[in-house]
Amino acid sequence: MQDAITTLINTSDAQGKYLDDSSLDTLQEYFRSGDLRARAAMTISANASTIVTKTVAKSLLYTDITGPGGNMYTCRRYAACIRDMDFFLRYGTYAMLAGDASILDERVLNGLKETYNSLGVPVGATIRAVQAMKEVVNDMLGAEAGKEVGHYFDHICSGLS
Amino acid sequence: MSLVTELILSADSEARYPAPKELRIFQDFVKTGEQRVRIAKALAANEQRIVQNGSQKFWERCPNTPSNSGVDRKTASCQRDQGWYVRLIAYSILAGSERPLEDIGTVGIKEMYNNLEIPIRNIAECMRCLKEEAMAVLSDEDAQEVAAYFDLIIQSLS
Repeated sequence: MQDAITTLINTSDAQGKYLDDSSLDTLQEYFRSGDLRARAAMTISANASTIVTKTVAKSLLYTDITGPGGNMYTCRRYAACIRDMDFFLRYGTYAMLAGDASILDERVLNGLKETYNSLGVPVGATIRAVQAMKEVVNDMLGAEAGKEVGHYFDHICSGLS
Repeated sequence: MSLVTELILSADSEARYPAPKELRIFQDFVKTGEQRVRIAKALAANEQRIVQNGSQKFWERCPNTPSNSGVDRKTASCQRDQGWYVRLIAYSILAGSERPLEDIGTVGIKEMYNNLEIPIRNIAECMRCLKEEAMAVLSDEDAQEVAAYFDLIIQSLS
Protein backbone atom coordinates (compact mmCIF):
# COMPACT_ATOMS: atom_id res chain seq x y z
CA MET A 1 0.00 0.00 0.00
CA GLN A 2 0.91 3.65 -0.37
CA ASP A 3 0.08 6.70 1.68
CA ALA A 4 0.15 10.43 1.00
CA ILE A 5 3.84 10.50 1.99
CA THR A 6 5.21 7.39 0.31
CA THR A 7 3.50 8.14 -3.02
CA LEU A 8 5.41 11.40 -3.21
CA ILE A 9 8.67 9.84 -2.02
CA ASN A 10 8.45 7.04 -4.58
CA THR A 11 7.75 9.42 -7.43
CA SER A 12 10.68 11.63 -6.43
CA ASP A 13 13.02 8.71 -5.88
CA ALA A 14 12.30 7.33 -9.34
CA GLN A 15 13.70 10.60 -10.66
CA GLY A 16 16.49 10.84 -8.10
CA LYS A 17 15.09 14.12 -6.85
CA TYR A 18 14.12 15.79 -3.64
CA LEU A 19 10.43 16.49 -3.16
CA ASP A 20 9.59 19.66 -5.08
CA ASP A 21 7.74 22.59 -3.58
CA SER A 22 4.29 21.50 -4.69
CA SER A 23 4.84 18.01 -3.23
CA LEU A 24 6.01 19.56 0.04
CA ASP A 25 2.90 21.77 0.08
CA THR A 26 0.75 18.67 -0.40
CA LEU A 27 2.57 16.99 2.49
CA GLN A 28 2.23 20.03 4.69
CA GLU A 29 -1.51 19.95 4.02
CA TYR A 30 -1.62 16.27 4.95
CA PHE A 31 0.29 16.91 8.19
CA ARG A 32 -2.06 19.78 9.05
CA SER A 33 -5.14 17.61 8.56
CA GLY A 34 -3.56 14.79 10.57
CA ASP A 35 -5.25 15.61 13.83
CA LEU A 36 -8.64 15.66 12.13
CA ARG A 37 -7.90 12.26 10.59
CA ALA A 38 -6.80 10.77 13.90
CA ARG A 39 -9.90 12.04 15.72
CA ALA A 40 -12.14 10.74 12.95
CA ALA A 41 -10.49 7.32 13.21
CA MET A 42 -11.06 7.28 16.97
CA THR A 43 -14.75 8.11 16.58
CA ILE A 44 -15.30 5.53 13.86
CA SER A 45 -13.43 2.89 15.81
CA ALA A 46 -15.51 3.56 18.94
CA ASN A 47 -18.79 3.45 17.00
CA ALA A 48 -18.08 0.89 14.31
CA SER A 49 -20.92 -1.48 15.09
CA THR A 50 -23.43 1.36 15.51
CA ILE A 51 -22.41 2.72 12.13
CA VAL A 52 -22.95 -0.65 10.48
CA THR A 53 -26.32 -1.12 12.21
CA LYS A 54 -27.50 2.30 11.08
CA THR A 55 -26.19 1.72 7.59
CA VAL A 56 -28.07 -1.55 7.18
CA ALA A 57 -31.23 -0.02 8.64
CA LYS A 58 -30.99 2.87 6.25
CA SER A 59 -30.30 0.96 3.07
CA LEU A 60 -31.05 -2.75 3.17
CA LEU A 61 -33.65 -3.60 5.81
CA TYR A 62 -37.25 -3.95 4.68
CA THR A 63 -36.29 -4.39 1.07
CA ASP A 64 -36.62 -7.56 -0.98
CA ILE A 65 -33.02 -8.39 -0.30
CA THR A 66 -33.68 -9.52 3.29
CA GLY A 67 -36.77 -11.61 2.42
CA PRO A 68 -36.92 -15.19 1.16
CA GLY A 69 -35.13 -15.40 -2.18
CA GLY A 70 -33.11 -12.25 -1.40
CA ASN A 71 -29.35 -12.34 -1.09
CA MET A 72 -29.40 -11.37 2.61
CA TYR A 73 -31.99 -14.01 3.47
CA THR A 74 -30.70 -16.62 5.93
CA CYS A 75 -28.73 -15.53 8.96
CA ARG A 76 -25.55 -16.80 7.43
CA ARG A 77 -25.80 -14.46 4.46
CA TYR A 78 -26.99 -11.59 6.63
CA ALA A 79 -23.90 -12.10 8.80
CA ALA A 80 -21.64 -12.19 5.75
CA CYS A 81 -23.17 -8.93 4.56
CA ILE A 82 -22.57 -7.03 7.78
CA ARG A 83 -19.07 -8.48 7.97
CA ASP A 84 -18.38 -6.94 4.56
CA MET A 85 -19.85 -3.63 5.73
CA ASP A 86 -17.45 -3.80 8.66
CA PHE A 87 -14.59 -4.34 6.23
CA PHE A 88 -15.60 -1.37 4.09
CA LEU A 89 -15.72 0.84 7.15
CA ARG A 90 -12.37 -0.31 8.52
CA TYR A 91 -10.53 -0.11 5.21
CA GLY A 92 -12.17 3.23 4.45
CA THR A 93 -10.79 4.43 7.78
CA TYR A 94 -7.30 3.13 6.94
CA ALA A 95 -7.41 4.91 3.57
CA MET A 96 -8.56 8.14 5.22
CA LEU A 97 -5.68 7.96 7.71
CA ALA A 98 -3.24 7.25 4.90
CA GLY A 99 -4.68 9.98 2.69
CA ASP A 100 -4.48 7.46 -0.15
CA ALA A 101 -6.86 4.92 -1.68
CA SER A 102 -4.32 2.27 -2.65
CA ILE A 103 -5.04 0.04 0.33
CA LEU A 104 -8.67 -0.17 -0.84
CA ASP A 105 -7.58 -1.18 -4.32
CA GLU A 106 -5.16 -3.79 -3.08
CA ARG A 107 -7.03 -5.32 -0.20
CA VAL A 108 -10.72 -4.73 -0.82
CA LEU A 109 -11.57 -3.96 -4.42
CA ASN A 110 -9.18 -6.29 -6.17
CA GLY A 111 -11.51 -9.02 -7.50
CA LEU A 112 -14.40 -7.96 -5.28
CA LYS A 113 -16.85 -7.30 -8.08
CA GLU A 114 -16.10 -10.70 -9.62
CA THR A 115 -16.51 -12.38 -6.23
CA TYR A 116 -19.84 -10.68 -5.65
CA ASN A 117 -21.04 -11.59 -9.11
CA SER A 118 -20.15 -15.22 -8.63
CA LEU A 119 -21.87 -15.27 -5.23
CA GLY A 120 -24.92 -13.55 -6.62
CA VAL A 121 -24.48 -10.54 -4.33
CA PRO A 122 -26.27 -7.61 -5.97
CA VAL A 123 -23.70 -4.92 -6.64
CA GLY A 124 -26.32 -2.18 -6.92
CA ALA A 125 -27.57 -2.81 -3.39
CA THR A 126 -24.00 -2.95 -2.11
CA ILE A 127 -23.27 0.45 -3.60
CA ARG A 128 -26.48 1.80 -2.08
CA ALA A 129 -25.35 0.50 1.31
CA VAL A 130 -21.88 2.04 1.00
CA GLN A 131 -23.47 5.38 0.11
CA ALA A 132 -25.71 5.05 3.17
CA MET A 133 -22.63 4.35 5.27
CA LYS A 134 -21.06 7.50 3.91
CA GLU A 135 -24.09 9.49 5.10
CA VAL A 136 -24.15 7.82 8.52
CA VAL A 137 -20.45 8.54 9.03
CA ASN A 138 -20.87 12.08 7.78
CA ASP A 139 -23.66 12.72 10.29
CA MET A 140 -21.52 11.34 13.07
CA LEU A 141 -18.23 13.11 12.25
CA GLY A 142 -19.45 16.40 10.88
CA ALA A 143 -18.90 17.82 7.44
CA GLU A 144 -15.14 18.35 7.44
CA ALA A 145 -14.05 14.91 8.58
CA GLY A 146 -17.06 13.34 6.88
CA LYS A 147 -15.91 14.65 3.53
CA GLU A 148 -12.43 13.24 4.06
CA VAL A 149 -13.77 9.72 4.74
CA GLY A 150 -16.58 10.07 2.20
CA HIS A 151 -14.05 10.34 -0.56
CA TYR A 152 -12.96 6.75 0.12
CA PHE A 153 -16.50 5.38 0.30
CA ASP A 154 -17.01 6.89 -3.14
CA HIS A 155 -13.84 5.14 -4.22
CA ILE A 156 -15.30 1.79 -3.10
CA CYS A 157 -18.48 2.50 -5.05
CA SER A 158 -16.67 3.41 -8.23
CA GLY A 159 -14.51 0.31 -7.85
CA LEU A 160 -17.65 -1.81 -7.69
CA SER A 161 -19.55 -0.24 -10.54
CA MET B 1 7.05 2.77 3.82
CA SER B 2 6.22 5.49 6.32
CA LEU B 3 5.14 5.61 9.93
CA VAL B 4 1.55 5.91 8.69
CA THR B 5 1.71 2.83 6.47
CA GLU B 6 3.47 0.88 9.21
CA LEU B 7 0.72 1.49 11.72
CA ILE B 8 -2.06 0.74 9.25
CA LEU B 9 -0.47 -2.53 8.13
CA SER B 10 0.08 -3.56 11.71
CA ALA B 11 -3.58 -2.86 12.57
CA ASP B 12 -4.76 -4.67 9.45
CA SER B 13 -2.68 -7.74 10.20
CA GLU B 14 -4.88 -8.15 13.26
CA ALA B 15 -8.08 -6.99 11.49
CA ARG B 16 -8.59 -4.16 13.97
CA TYR B 17 -8.75 -0.40 14.08
CA PRO B 18 -5.57 1.48 14.99
CA ALA B 19 -5.25 1.41 18.77
CA PRO B 20 -5.32 4.64 20.83
CA LYS B 21 -1.59 4.37 21.39
CA GLU B 22 -0.95 4.10 17.65
CA LEU B 23 -3.18 7.06 16.91
CA ARG B 24 -1.31 9.07 19.53
CA ILE B 25 1.95 8.26 17.77
CA PHE B 26 0.33 9.34 14.51
CA GLN B 27 -0.83 12.61 16.07
CA ASP B 28 2.64 13.33 17.45
CA PHE B 29 4.05 12.61 14.01
CA VAL B 30 1.76 15.00 12.13
CA LYS B 31 2.32 17.67 14.78
CA THR B 32 6.00 17.75 13.82
CA GLY B 33 5.11 18.04 10.12
CA GLU B 34 6.36 21.57 9.77
CA GLN B 35 9.73 20.68 11.27
CA ARG B 36 10.00 17.72 8.90
CA VAL B 37 9.28 19.82 5.83
CA ARG B 38 11.75 22.45 7.08
CA ILE B 39 14.53 19.87 7.49
CA ALA B 40 13.84 18.31 4.08
CA LYS B 41 14.05 21.74 2.46
CA ALA B 42 17.28 22.58 4.28
CA LEU B 43 18.91 19.30 3.23
CA ALA B 44 17.88 19.83 -0.40
CA ALA B 45 19.17 23.40 -0.42
CA ASN B 46 22.47 22.50 1.24
CA GLU B 47 23.22 19.17 -0.38
CA GLN B 48 26.05 20.52 -2.51
CA ARG B 49 27.67 22.23 0.41
CA ILE B 50 27.33 19.18 2.66
CA VAL B 51 28.89 16.96 0.02
CA GLN B 52 31.71 19.37 -0.90
CA ASN B 53 32.70 20.22 2.66
CA GLY B 54 32.14 16.65 3.77
CA SER B 55 34.47 15.39 1.04
CA GLN B 56 37.23 17.84 2.00
CA LYS B 57 37.01 16.73 5.58
CA PHE B 58 36.93 13.08 4.54
CA TRP B 59 40.02 13.40 2.34
CA GLU B 60 41.94 15.01 5.17
CA ARG B 61 41.10 12.13 7.45
CA CYS B 62 41.35 9.46 4.82
CA PRO B 63 43.53 10.61 1.91
CA ASN B 64 44.01 7.22 0.33
CA THR B 65 40.55 6.51 -1.04
CA PRO B 66 39.02 6.05 -4.54
CA SER B 67 37.26 9.45 -4.54
CA ASN B 68 40.65 11.13 -3.85
CA SER B 69 42.63 9.08 -6.36
CA GLY B 70 42.68 11.76 -9.03
CA VAL B 71 40.26 9.86 -11.26
CA ASP B 72 37.45 12.34 -11.91
CA ARG B 73 34.92 9.69 -12.73
CA LYS B 74 35.45 8.03 -9.34
CA THR B 75 35.27 11.31 -7.47
CA ALA B 76 32.07 12.23 -9.30
CA SER B 77 30.31 8.94 -8.65
CA CYS B 78 31.34 8.87 -4.99
CA GLN B 79 30.03 12.38 -4.48
CA ARG B 80 26.86 11.52 -6.35
CA ASP B 81 26.30 8.62 -3.93
CA GLN B 82 26.94 10.93 -0.98
CA GLY B 83 24.31 13.33 -2.29
CA TRP B 84 21.92 10.40 -2.64
CA TYR B 85 22.31 9.51 1.01
CA VAL B 86 21.48 13.07 2.00
CA ARG B 87 18.37 12.80 -0.19
CA LEU B 88 17.32 9.45 1.30
CA ILE B 89 17.63 10.92 4.76
CA ALA B 90 15.34 13.76 3.68
CA TYR B 91 12.80 11.12 2.59
CA SER B 92 13.06 9.31 5.92
CA ILE B 93 12.60 12.53 7.85
CA LEU B 94 9.38 13.22 5.92
CA ALA B 95 8.15 9.65 6.34
CA GLY B 96 8.97 9.54 10.06
CA SER B 97 10.49 6.15 9.44
CA GLU B 98 13.89 4.68 8.63
CA ARG B 99 12.28 2.49 6.00
CA PRO B 100 12.85 4.70 2.92
CA LEU B 101 16.54 4.97 3.84
CA GLU B 102 16.80 1.24 4.51
CA ASP B 103 14.79 0.06 1.52
CA ILE B 104 16.62 2.25 -0.96
CA GLY B 105 20.02 2.74 0.58
CA THR B 106 21.25 0.46 3.34
CA VAL B 107 19.95 -3.03 2.59
CA GLY B 108 22.86 -4.52 0.63
CA ILE B 109 25.11 -1.50 1.15
CA LYS B 110 28.14 -3.53 2.28
CA GLU B 111 27.82 -6.05 -0.51
CA MET B 112 27.52 -3.28 -3.07
CA TYR B 113 30.56 -1.29 -1.94
CA ASN B 114 32.60 -4.45 -1.49
CA ASN B 115 31.75 -5.33 -5.04
CA LEU B 116 32.81 -1.86 -6.15
CA GLU B 117 36.05 -2.40 -4.21
CA ILE B 118 35.52 0.64 -2.04
CA PRO B 119 36.76 0.09 1.52
CA ILE B 120 33.76 -0.07 3.89
CA ARG B 121 35.69 1.69 6.62
CA ASN B 122 36.24 4.65 4.32
CA ILE B 123 32.53 4.87 3.50
CA ALA B 124 31.74 4.90 7.20
CA GLU B 125 34.24 7.70 7.80
CA CYS B 126 32.81 9.61 4.87
CA MET B 127 29.30 9.28 6.35
CA ARG B 128 30.62 10.66 9.66
CA CYS B 129 31.95 13.69 7.79
CA LEU B 130 28.66 14.19 5.96
CA LYS B 131 26.84 13.91 9.24
CA GLU B 132 28.97 16.65 10.81
CA GLU B 133 28.46 18.93 7.82
CA ALA B 134 24.72 18.30 7.70
CA MET B 135 24.38 19.00 11.41
CA ALA B 136 26.32 22.24 10.95
CA VAL B 137 23.72 23.69 8.58
CA LEU B 138 20.76 22.86 10.85
CA SER B 139 19.50 24.11 14.20
CA ASP B 140 20.32 21.92 17.20
CA GLU B 141 16.87 20.42 17.32
CA ASP B 142 16.76 19.64 13.60
CA ALA B 143 20.34 18.36 13.66
CA GLN B 144 19.46 15.68 16.21
CA GLU B 145 16.70 14.40 13.96
CA VAL B 146 19.09 14.07 11.03
CA ALA B 147 22.01 12.64 13.03
CA ALA B 148 20.03 9.53 13.94
CA TYR B 149 19.69 8.58 10.29
CA PHE B 150 23.39 9.09 9.53
CA ASP B 151 24.10 6.88 12.53
CA LEU B 152 21.87 4.24 11.03
CA ILE B 153 23.91 4.28 7.81
CA ILE B 154 27.13 4.07 9.81
CA GLN B 155 25.78 1.15 11.83
CA SER B 156 24.76 -0.68 8.69
CA LEU B 157 28.38 -0.42 7.54
CA SER B 158 29.88 -1.92 10.67
